[in-house]
Amino acid sequence: MSLLKYESQQREPLVDGNKDYHQITEDIIGPIEMKPSRLWYIGFYISVALLMFGVYSIYREVTYGIGQWNLNKTIGWGWDITNFVWWVGIGHAGTLISAILLLFRQGWRTGVNRAAEAMTIFAVMCAGQFPIWHMGRVWMAFFVLPYPNSRGPLWVNFNSPLLWDVFAISTYFTVSLLFWYSGLLPDFATVRDRAKTKFRKMMYGVAAFGWTGSTKHWQRHESLSLVLAGLSTPLVLSVHTIVSFDFATSVIPGWHTTIFPPYFVAGAIFSGFAMVQTLLIVVRKVMNLQDYITLGHIEAMNKVIVLTGSIVGCAYLTELFIAWYGQNPYEWYAFSQNRANIFTPYGWSYWLMMFCNVVSPQLFWSRKLRRNITVTFFMSIIVNIGMWYERFVIIVTSVYRDFLPSSWSTYYSPSIWEIGFYLGTFGLFFTCFFLFAKYFPVIAVSEIKAILKTSGENYKAKMTDIEKSDAEKFYIEKVEHAH
Amino acid sequence: MNKKYWQNFGDLTESERFQQASQNEFQEELLPLAELDGKGMLDTPTPRRDFLKYLGFSTAAAALAASCEMPVKKSVPYLNMPDNVIPGVANYYASTYVNGGDAISVVVKQRDGRPVKIEGNELSSITKGGTSAQAQASVLDLYDPTRLRHPLQKSGEDFKEVPSFDAFDKLVGTAVAGIAGKAIVLLTSTINSPSTLQIISEFLAKYPGSRHVQYDAVSYSGMLLANEITYGKKAIPSYQFDNAKTIVSLGADFLGTWLSPVEFSKQYSVNRKVKSKKPELSRHIHFESMMSLTGSNADDRFTHKPSQTGAVALALLAKLGGAVSAPAISDAKLVKGIEKTAAVLNASKGAALVVCGSNDVNIQVIVNAINDIIGANGTTINWGATNNTRKGTDAEIVQLIADMNSGAVGGLFVYDCNPAYTYSESKKFTDALAKLPVSVSFNGTMDETTEQCKFILPSHHWLESWGDAEPKTGYISLLQPTINPLFKTRPFQTSLLKWAANTSDYETYYKNFWAAKLGSLTSWDQAIQDGVIETAATTAGATFNAGSLAAAASKIAATKSAATEVVLYQKVSVGTGSQANNPWLQELPDPISKVTWDNYAMVSPEMAKTLLTLDVMNNQRQADAYEVHPEKPVVKITVNGKSLELPALIIPGLNSSTIAIALGYGRQSANKDQILDRTGRAAAGAGKNAYPFVTTDGSTFLYSAVATVEKTGETYPLAQTQVHGFTEGRPVIYETNLSSYIADPKAVLAEPTHERAILTPEGKTDYVKDGTMYPDFVKPGIKWGMSIDLNTCTGCSACVVACTAENNVSVVGKIQVQRAHEMHWLRIDRYFTGDLENPDVVFQPMLCQHCDNAPCENVCPVAATNHSSEGLNQMTYNRCIGTRYCANNCPYKVRRFNWLDYNGSDSFADNQQSLIGTDTNEVINHMNDELTRMVLNPDVTVRGRGVIEKCSFCVQRLQENKLEAKKQQDPTLVRNVKTACMQACPTNAINFGNVNDKESEVSKARADESRHFYVLEQLHVLPNVSYLAKIRNTDRQIGVEEEHGAATEAH
Repeated sequence: MSLLKYESQQREPLVDGNKDYHQITEDIIGPIEMKPSRLWYIGFYISVALLMFGVYSIYREVTYGIGQWNLNKTIGWGWDITNFVWWVGIGHAGTLISAILLLFRQGWRTGVNRAAEAMTIFAVMCAGQFPIWHMGRVWMAFFVLPYPNSRGPLWVNFNSPLLWDVFAISTYFTVSLLFWYSGLLPDFATVRDRAKTKFRKMMYGVAAFGWTGSTKHWQRHESLSLVLAGLSTPLVLSVHTIVSFDFATSVIPGWHTTIFPPYFVAGAIFSGFAMVQTLLIVVRKVMNLQDYITLGHIEAMNKVIVLTGSIVGCAYLTELFIAWYGQNPYEWYAFSQNRANIFTPYGWSYWLMMFCNVVSPQLFWSRKLRRNITVTFFMSIIVNIGMWYERFVIIVTSVYRDFLPSSWSTYYSPSIWEIGFYLGTFGLFFTCFFLFAKYFPVIAVSEIKAILKTSGENYKAKMTDIEKSDAEKFYIEKVEHAH
Repeated sequence: MNKKYWQNFGDLTESERFQQASQNEFQEELLPLAELDGKGMLDTPTPRRDFLKYLGFSTAAAALAASCEMPVKKSVPYLNMPDNVIPGVANYYASTYVNGGDAISVVVKQRDGRPVKIEGNELSSITKGGTSAQAQASVLDLYDPTRLRHPLQKSGEDFKEVPSFDAFDKLVGTAVAGIAGKAIVLLTSTINSPSTLQIISEFLAKYPGSRHVQYDAVSYSGMLLANEITYGKKAIPSYQFDNAKTIVSLGADFLGTWLSPVEFSKQYSVNRKVKSKKPELSRHIHFESMMSLTGSNADDRFTHKPSQTGAVALALLAKLGGAVSAPAISDAKLVKGIEKTAAVLNASKGAALVVCGSNDVNIQVIVNAINDIIGANGTTINWGATNNTRKGTDAEIVQLIADMNSGAVGGLFVYDCNPAYTYSESKKFTDALAKLPVSVSFNGTMDETTEQCKFILPSHHWLESWGDAEPKTGYISLLQPTINPLFKTRPFQTSLLKWAANTSDYETYYKNFWAAKLGSLTSWDQAIQDGVIETAATTAGATFNAGSLAAAASKIAATKSAATEVVLYQKVSVGTGSQANNPWLQELPDPISKVTWDNYAMVSPEMAKTLLTLDVMNNQRQADAYEVHPEKPVVKITVNGKSLELPALIIPGLNSSTIAIALGYGRQSANKDQILDRTGRAAAGAGKNAYPFVTTDGSTFLYSAVATVEKTGETYPLAQTQVHGFTEGRPVIYETNLSSYIADPKAVLAEPTHERAILTPEGKTDYVKDGTMYPDFVKPGIKWGMSIDLNTCTGCSACVVACTAENNVSVVGKIQVQRAHEMHWLRIDRYFTGDLENPDVVFQPMLCQHCDNAPCENVCPVAATNHSSEGLNQMTYNRCIGTRYCANNCPYKVRRFNWLDYNGSDSFADNQQSLIGTDTNEVINHMNDELTRMVLNPDVTVRGRGVIEKCSFCVQRLQENKLEAKKQQDPTLVRNVKTACMQACPTNAINFGNVNDKESEVSKARADESRHFYVLEQLHVLPNVSYLAKIRNTDRQIGVEEEHGAATEAH
C-alpha cells in the first residue's frame, strides 16, 4: 500500500528488474508451491535439532530445578533475562517497520515488512520463554495472571515491573500477531486462488478467512492496518520501556538508572534492524528475491542502524558520566570498576559491548560500506553480539558486585543447560522462520504491487524520460490528472 | 426495454446467490446480537455477566485442575495419649551436651517426643545460657544415619550383629576370661562425670592391673604438666576472663576452641560491652602465628612464627622482670608489641591474664611465671575450681601403645575417642590394636577405631542418656534422656557395671548416686529439672614454684625453626573431627576463611607471592581472579616425611612463614567401599587428615612443626560463602578506638549522621518520614526489631547453626555451596580492614533486615513477600513462583533460593538422585533420610524447590510467645521472646524485641545512640535490624595502615 502516487526520480527504485503484477506473484508465491530446496531442509533440520536441545534443557531445568543453571545467591538473573531482553529487543524492528514506517509513509518498508514482522512474532515468542521458564515453580506461573480465585483478596502485585512485563509483552505479541496476520490475508488468498491441490486450497482458504478481494475487504483491511499501526506505535516504545523498568525501578547500582527507557528502545531498534539484516540478506539470496529486497532497502536499514547505534553510544557515555557526576559511590563503583575497568573479572564484556555497539556501526557513515552486502552481514552479526552483551553487562556486572562486598559473587559463566536453553530459542526462532519462508509469502505481494507503478524500476525508467522532457507538462498530465 | 449490461455471469443469470451477495456487499451490521432487539443485555440468553462468569469459572477450573493434585499423607493420632505430650506443644528438658570432655548445660526442646533443638541453659553459671555451634548441631548427631544400631561382633573382614545384650555380655565375658592376668585398659576421652568415674573405679577394682587412660584428641597435657611442675597440681585451673582488664593470649583460641570457649566467651563479653556512660573496655592483646577466631577479636594483634611462641613468652616474662634473659627477636614490630604488652600488663596487675595455646610444657611454665608476676593467681586464675574438660596426658597413650605391643595389655575398651584417627602415628595404634585378643568399642558410630575392634557395643547418644558432668569442680550439670533410645544401644556405664558384676543398670545407679549425694530423690528431681547443681565457688590462688624456669627457658631457646612452619588448629565447626559427619557443622562457614566442607592450607598474602606467584596485595587482576574462582592452587606440605596436598587459601593476617591447617577433616574408613555408611555421607571426602602432622618433643604432642612446601600445579575447588573480604569503604560497619570514642562519642557515626542530614529535605528533620516522597505509616502495637552489637559478636557462629536448626534451613552440600547456593538465613560477614599483613577483623551477623520500605516487596509480581503489621518482612512460600527478582533487588543479599530439591519435598518426587555426584553431594541423602528428618522443626515449613526463603525473625516463636502473653493477659510477657540466634549467642550480642516497648531488650540496646546505626541506611529501605558500632581498646587508628605497608588500594 502506498499512499504516494508519485515518487521522485531522485529515489532509487524499490523494485528492480522488469516486473509486472504477474511476475511479482510468480516470484514470491512461486516458491511456496515448489518443493523446498536442499538448503532449506538442512537449515530446517538443524533448527529443529537446536529446538529439541532447548526443549531438553528446559526439561532438565523444570525437573531438577534452576540449580541446573549457574546462577547463584548474588546473581539471580543471568543468561535467562539477558536472553529475554535481547529477544524482546530483536522483536522491535518488525513492528517499527510495519507501524511507524507505515505512518511515516516510508514506501521502502514494503519489501521487508513481512519478514520483519514475522521475525518480531518469532522473537517475542522466544523472548517469552525466558520469563516463563526462569521461574522456580513454572507450574505456578498462572499466579501472575489476575484471575478470579478462591484465595480471598489475593491478587497480583500491580507494583511489580515483572507484572507490567506480563501485560506489556502479551499485548505487544497480540497486536503484532494481528497486524502481521491481517497483512497476510490478501496474500493467503492469492495462494489459495493459485492452489492446484485440494489440501492447499483448503488450508490457505481457511487461513485467508474468506478474503474475496472485494472493495469492502480492501477498505476494511486498510482501516484495520491503520488502526493496528496506531496501536502498535506506542507499543514499540512501551514494551522496551517497561522491560527497562525491571531494572530502572530497582535499587541495584547499574540497574537503577533513569536513562533506561529511551536507551532500551533505541537499543532494541538497533538490534532489531541488525537481525532483520541478518535474515533478509540470507533470504534474498536463497530465495532469489534481490529484486524486491534491494540494496536500497539494505542501505536504508543500515542508516537506521548507524543512527540508533549512535544513540545507544550516547546513552552509554551519558550513563557513565552521570554515574561519575551523581557521586553515588555504589553506582560509580559499578560503572568504573565492574564495567569500565577492564582488569576486573567482567571488564572485558563492557569493552566488547562498547566495540560492537558504538565503534563498529560507525562504518556505516560510508555509503560504500552501507551498500556492501558482506560488510552489512558481518556488521549485523556484530551488532547482535554487542546488543546481547549490553544486556549481559547491565544485568550481570551490576548485580555480581553490588552493595555488600561480603556477597560479591564468584565468576558466573553459564552451564550447558543455560546455553542449551538459549540455543533452543534459536531453534524455535529458525524453525518458525523456515516454516514461514516455505509456507508464507515472505514479501507482502499486495503491498509490493501497490508501489510497483511508482517505485518499480521499469516504471520509473519510463517516467524519467517523460519527466526529463518537460517537467511542467509532466506534472499537469501525470500527477494532477491522477488526482 | 433497457439494454442490459452485465458484468459477469451472475449478473446475467441473476442467480439468487448473486443477488444476495450484491445486496449484502455494503451492509453494515453493528452487533452480531440478533436476540438483543429491545430486550436489554441482561435478558439475552448469554448476557455479558454470564459470559464473564463462564470465563472466570473456566479459567479458575483450569487453574485448579492444573494445581490441585496433592499426595495424600496419612497421620494417625495417638490412641492413648502419653503423659505430658500435647501434640503441637513443645516440652523443654534440661540436659547437658557432652562430647570429649566438653560439657555445656542446655535445655532441649522436644516436640512430640523427639528432640529438635538445643538451647542454652540460663541457670548454669558457667555458660549462662550460651551455646556453641557444636552443641547446637549435636541434635543432628542423634539422627545420624551412620549411628550403629545394635551390638556387633567382628566376623572376618566384616561385622555381624549380636542378637542381644546378654549374648554380647557373654561373648565379652568369655573373651575377657581368656586374657586373665593381662591388663584391661579403658581408653576414653576426658571423663568428668562423677558417677561414671565412680563406675570406672569400681570396674577397675574388679580387674586388677587394669587402668583408665584418658586421651584427648587435641591434647592439653602441656598445661597439665607445667602446672604440676610449677604449682604441684596436675590440673587446669579455671580462668576468669571477666575479672581481667588486660587479656593476653599467646595463640590460645579461647573464644573458639580452647578449653571451654562458651564459658570464656560469656566472661569475655562482660568487659567488651561499651556503656555509653563512662565507656570502659578490657584490653585484649593477641600473639599468634595464624589468624584465629580469638585473634581476630583482639584489640592488638601480633604475629610470629609458630616456633617463636616460646620466645615471645620468654621475652614478655623478661620484660615483666622475670628471672630469664630475653631471647633475640628480629621482628621489630613483634618486639615493640611485646614491650607494649608488658607495659599494659604491668599497669593492670591483679586484673590481668595471660593464656597460651601451646602444648609445650616449657612454654606453659613460662606463661605460669608471667601469670604469677602479674598477679593472676587468685584473681583471674582460680585454683578453687579446676577446669575438668581436659585431663589426658600424652605420655599415657604412648605408653599404652607400647604395652599393647609388648602384650602387657590384653584388652582395650574404647569409649568416646578415636585414636585410630586422631593419633599422629595412627598406624602404630591400629597395628597394636590388632594384636589384642579383646578390643571393645563403645563409640556410637563405625569410626576408624571402632572398625578395628572385635566387639562393638554402641553407647547412647547424650540426648538418650542419663548422666552428669562436672566441667568445673563444684559445677555439676546433669543429663536426662529426651527420647527413648532410637536403636539397640546401651550406655557405656551399664556395660561396665554389668562386667563389674554390678546388677543395677546405669539409670538406677545414677539416680541412687545423686539421691545419696543430695540427700533425697526430691532434691534430685529439682536438680534434674534445673539441670545444674552448683556449689558456691571459692576463689583460690596457688603458690608458684619458679625452680624449673631456667631449664624451661633454655629448652625454649633451643627450639628449631625454619623458613616455613605449619600450625594445626581446630575450627569452631568441625573441631577435633568427632562431629565431622554433622552436615550442619560441615556446612557452617569457618568464621575466618568462610570455607565450608574442607580444610586447606591457609597462607598469608606475603607467602602467596613467592609460593603461588600470586600478588593479591598489589595486583588487582590476580587478586580478582583468585577471588572469583573457587579453584585454588594446590600445595604439597611435608612435615617429618609425611606430606599432604591441600589447596592454598590466602588469608591476610597470617605470619608470612606460617601455614595453618585445620584438624578434624579427612575422616576415613578402612573399608573404602563402605565409607558412606561407616564414616558417613557428610564426612566422607571432606578435607584431609592433618593429625599426622602432629609432632612430639618427647613429652607432649606439639601442634606446630617445621615444614617444607611446594606448589603442585594442580587446583582444587573450595566452597567459600564469602569471597571478598573488604568493605571498600562502604557504610557497612563503623568502628573506632576507645580513646577517640571517649573524646567524642558521636564521631564514630559522623558519616551516617551527615548522610542522613543531606538526604533529609531542608527544613525537615526526620529522615525516616521526610527522606521519601511516599507517605509514612503509623506503626502501632508491636514492631519487631533487632540490635546486634558488633563489639561483642566474636564470630563464633553458634547463631548460624541455631538458625539452621530452628528454621529447617537446608544443607546443600559442597558442590552447591561452591556454586553459592548455600541456604543460610543468617550469615556472619567478615571484613578485614587496615594493614593487609595484620588486619583488623570485624564480624557482622547479616540476616534479613526486615526493611519497612523493603525493595524486595514491591518487585514480586505475585505479592509472595509482603510486610506484616508488626514490621516483619514475610515470605509466603506457597505463593512464590521463584522469579528471584526479590533476591536481586535485596541490597543485603540475604534472600535464598531453593535451586534444587534439598529436602525431598519436591512437587516431582524423587527426581534428584541422578544429580548426586555431579550437581549435589551425598549429604542430600543424609539429610533426607527418614531418620535425619526427625530433626525437622514441625513449626516451620520445609521449603520446596523453586521458592525463595529468608530469615523470618523466627516468626513461629513470636506467634507462640504472643499467644502465651494473650492467654496470660500480660503484654509484658512479649519481652521474653528470643529468636534462635539471640538464644544461642554466648556473648549476648544479639538483642531482639518490640521496639515500641521502651523496656524491651532491643530498645535498651538501641538506647546507646552514639553507636546505633543501620547498614546502608542511605538507601532509605528503613531496616529493622540495627547494629552497634565496634570500639577497640587500642592506640592505633582503626582502618589505617601502620607506618609502612602494602597497598590496600588494590582491593
